[in-house]
Amino acid sequence: MSVQKSWSELQKMHRANTLVVGALDLLEQAAVPGTTTKELDRLAYDFFKKNGAQPAFLGYRGYPATLCVSINDEVVHGIPSEKRRLKDGDIVGFDLGCIVEGFFGDSARTVAVGKVSDQATRLMETTKAALFAGIEACHPGKRVGDIGHAVQTLAESRGYSVVREFVGHGIGTSLHEDPQVPNYGPGGKGKRLVAGMTLAIEPMVNVGGPEVRVLDDDWTAVTVDGALSAHFELSVAITVHGPWILSEPYPFVQEALHA
Amino acid sequence: MPEVAREVVEVDGVVREAMPNALYRVELLTETRGTATAHVGGSGGLLRLRPGDEVVVELMPYDMTRGRIVRKR
Repeated sequence: MSVQKSWSELQKMHRANTLVVGALDLLEQAAVPGTTTKELDRLAYDFFKKNGAQPAFLGYRGYPATLCVSINDEVVHGIPSEKRRLKDGDIVGFDLGCIVEGFFGDSARTVAVGKVSDQATRLMETTKAALFAGIEACHPGKRVGDIGHAVQTLAESRGYSVVREFVGHGIGTSLHEDPQVPNYGPGGKGKRLVAGMTLAIEPMVNVGGPEVRVLDDDWTAVTVDGALSAHFELSVAITVHGPWILSEPYPFVQEALHA
Repeated sequence: MPEVAREVVEVDGVVREAMPNALYRVELLTETRGTATAHVGGSGGLLRLRPGDEVVVELMPYDMTRGRIVRKR
């Protein structure tokens, strides 16, 4: 059962998500060739601490870091390491979450390190577009399946595949709440969306096939065929006026005034 | 952080005890050893399981204590 959030709870989630996206902005600037992924993890940790937020992933089901950093064929859940350095031409996915006053923020994006291939650029653009296609479906009365359907349709129309083994999720007082939000499937199915629900929508899109496997560290997921993968995520609140991307200011002030 | 999709997982197990109502207590051969109570799914061809039988159990990742025996190994 997904919990509908009150206005004041949404404010807390807004603060958490704003911090997450602020940290992602920092990481994007710091993603230059030669940087170790551990340094990036430290950057995110320090940013959260400085702003009075708790890292959400550190210790979550035993996850050992603040940041998930997934390079090239790594899909999600890459663990930061002192040995791993970013290289020119890499695409690197940053996935980050924090807790503010008990409420979670969760967001991700994939960025280019130096100059990347046209294929990589197109993949990142497509994944981001797929995320926004999913967010567009976040209106009360629609269903969870409509989100996945929008994401899948957009990604596959450009010749890519979407990952099945990992899915978006409700978010609020825990990192993962019901319902699960797959990035695929038929529209018109699944739980009905109602105002006050908060969902983390996060397409993972592959250049090759959709299959992924998890490495021996029990976290890092990679594509089975070794092809590139990208990941974008935003936390969104369903409102009567439509989707509110929680890392942005409330977009329906005018509608609310005239309601 | 994406959540692992909530699908059934198949786990190897060993029947330890036959309980009433066609339930079995199955020791799961997973990394964190545990037991699940499981009933027999499917056509019933597996109905006569005995302690020691090696089976495959279908579980939901969020509740590894109850499952369904899907076949013998």
